[in-house]
Amino acid sequence: MSDTSMNVNPGETQRVEFSGNAKEWFGIWIVNLLLSIVTIGIYSAWAKVRTKKYFYNNTSIAGRNFDYHATGKQILIGRIIVIVGFIAFTLLSAVPFLNIIMILALLAATPWLIVRSLQFNARMSSFSNVRFNFSGKMGRAFVVYVLLPLGLYIAVVAVGAGGGFLAGQSGSVAIGVLAGLAVLVILLFAVPIVDRAVKRYVINHHALGTAAFSFDAGLSPFVKALSLALAWVVLVLVVSGVVFGASFAALGDAFSGLEAGGEPTAGQLGLIGLFYLLFFVAFLPAGFIYQALVRNVMYDNTQLEGGHSFRSTVKVGPLMWIAITNAVVIVCTLGLMLPWAQIRMQAYLAAQTFVIPGASMDDFIGEQQAAGNAIGDAYGDLEGVDFGVGL
Amino acid sequence: MGTDASERFGLTLTGWAFASGSSRKVAARLITRAPLDGRGDAPFVDIVDEADRVITGAQFEEITIDPPLGRSPRRMHFPDEAMFETDDHEGFRALTGLTRGDLLSHYEAFRPRLVAVVAALVLCGWLLWRYGLDLMVTAVIALTPAGLLGYMDQGTLQTIDLTMADDTELPEDERERVAQIFSTLLAELPPSEINGRDFKLLFRDMERIGPNAFAMPGGTIVMTDQFVEKFPQEDVLAGVLGHEIGHVVEAHGLRQTYRSLGMYFLIGFLAGDTGPIIDEILLEGNLLLSLQFSRKHEAAADAFGVQLTSAAGYDPAGLQQFFREIAKGGLTPPEWLSTHPASDERVEQIEGYIEALD
Repeated sequence: MSDTSMNVNPGETQRVEFSGNAKEWFGIWIVNLLLSIVTIGIYSAWAKVRTKKYFYNNTSIAGRNFDYHATGKQILIGRIIVIVGFIAFTLLSAVPFLNIIMILALLAATPWLIVRSLQFNARMSSFSNVRFNFSGKMGRAFVVYVLLPLGLYIAVVAVGAGGGFLAGQSGSVAIGVLAGLAVLVILLFAVPIVDRAVKRYVINHHALGTAAFSFDAGLSPFVKALSLALAWVVLVLVVSGVVFGASFAALGDAFSGLEAGGEPTAGQLGLIGLFYLLFFVAFLPAGFIYQALVRNVMYDNTQLEGGHSFRSTVKVGPLMWIAITNAVVIVCTLGLMLPWAQIRMQAYLAAQTFVIPGASMDDFIGEQQAAGNAIGDAYGDLEGVDFGVGL
Repeated sequence: MGTDASERFGLTLTGWAFASGSSRKVAARLITRAPLDGRGDAPFVDIVDEADRVITGAQFEEITIDPPLGRSPRRMHFPDEAMFETDDHEGFRALTGLTRGDLLSHYEAFRPRLVAVVAALVLCGWLLWRYGLDLMVTAVIALTPAGLLGYMDQGTLQTIDLTMADDTELPEDERERVAQIFSTLLAELPPSEINGRDFKLLFRDMERIGPNAFAMPGGTIVMTDQFVEKFPQEDVLAGVLGHEIGHVVEAHGLRQTYRSLGMYFLIGFLAGDTGPIIDEILLEGNLLLSLQFSRKHEAAADAFGVQLTSAAGYDPAGLQQFFREIAKGGLTPPEWLSTHPASDERVEQIEGYIEALD
């Protein structure tokens, strides 16, 4: 067989290649959007398929690309069901007694939606002609997506509110500070535990054909990522407190003035704007710090059966620079440069992602799997969350 | 147009082949020849490896062809689920002729005519936002069972009672007086406008909200004690109640709920992956823009209230009097006015509605 040209030497690091082109993607994107609007959203199902296919087709490793196989019809059916369900949920949530049942039903449905979404996406995606698969179970999804986050939330609220109550009762600032620190410590360890559990669940139940993915990592890199993110927030708050401290007192007055129905002055509006900006400066970069570092941890500790391993070298600075300049350019061009921005971000992420093959990439074997429905996938689109782990 | 039959025999394309469910990427050639039975003008397609061994083959009609997408390799799937891909776009087109998706691909090409697509997009987007959504909302409102709305009112009322309202402390006869005005107004409503809804007026003591009244989709109207105390005049009470009845009859609350849901669906499904910053801007921007519909609805309810109060024999200038007092200041404007047009403007507009009555 003379098929060796496409093969790689085991152990030789392969860069993930992204060949998407901003001009080409612009044409596809704008036609997608026009057809979607003309059809009051119906075409958006086919547009989604074309979008995913474009980015998958243009992503390749060692000359083999990805592909997306869902049909517009499948996506459309999923979306219609989600829309009807969403409207029914909104209306019924206002009805006494039913509202409690609705919230419980949503909690119970969440793992089902997530598992279906992961399954549909995996089974509709392929690499080098072999489909991915996801075989996670509902029970475990309930634990990692509902129970653990709920427990974390309850712990934070209980400690925060309890500490606040005690501090108020005793009038002691020390207790208040202590409670604040306790919340911080809980967050610092519990968020990484929950996040790692999600990543373990998602990656360990994925497979490329018959070859399983596996992921495990210590908690410390997650804690480190979160500490850096939180440190940034604290730094911004402290620095801004020192610089704008006096103005913040004035801002309090501005807010109470507004509540009393006064017209805001230009200065007060400026202060509110500053407050909003500070919020962005504190939390947005923190999000990027955590995401970038955790992405690296995730790839570096993932293996694919057959001895294949992965590596990610995303840096916080460049990632943040691209995200922020992208947003500025998109706003300044009223959205027209969105395709350019998407290509730019994808090209950066691909360039920082590597595969170290442990064997020939010719040896993956596909399995026939029923894809299931696209309801979970539609729900993910609507809520703007990606339950998967993305490239 | 179609391709001449003979031109499609004896074609060769170079590319890659994959067997069903295998990641093995094999350098391969696609070769076409006349069909086995010698009939028809569609060729028989063979895929062979570099040593000319046949990997798969099929009559052209049995092959599934993936629609073209930019520079992505063209792909075809054989009945045995083997796949052939090639970067030779022109050769592929010569073999298949125009296929499903070719036209789409043609218009997607980065050419100056995309400017027209952008212009059409802006126009259609505006039409959808301004008129299309309203049409859909009207259709969904027609599908919403009226009985359900009554239950929804109960739920909203529970929330209000739990969070910001106390039992009314108005004297019985005062409540009776306002209720009398309310039923006089309702008596003027034709059955088509009642439309199965259960109109009722409730009083609540809401210190923090101040003088205010609001309507729920199912027909429940709540008036605060503070309102009756501040504006005991019959004509003002009738004017404001007429305004609230207008909100119910024209389903303004439901309209706004459905409209914001509709925008949420459109943004969620059309915008795709925009990143966290742009996502935020889209949703907040939509919220700001939708305020204009809220203001439009207030004006519509004013017009409705003026009509109804005058039909019921009250002085329609009562509503005007209310806004005049509000505009004078000194009074804390109710919180709901922030989504409402300026009071002095409304006084003038109501003047117009009253003049139009005669």
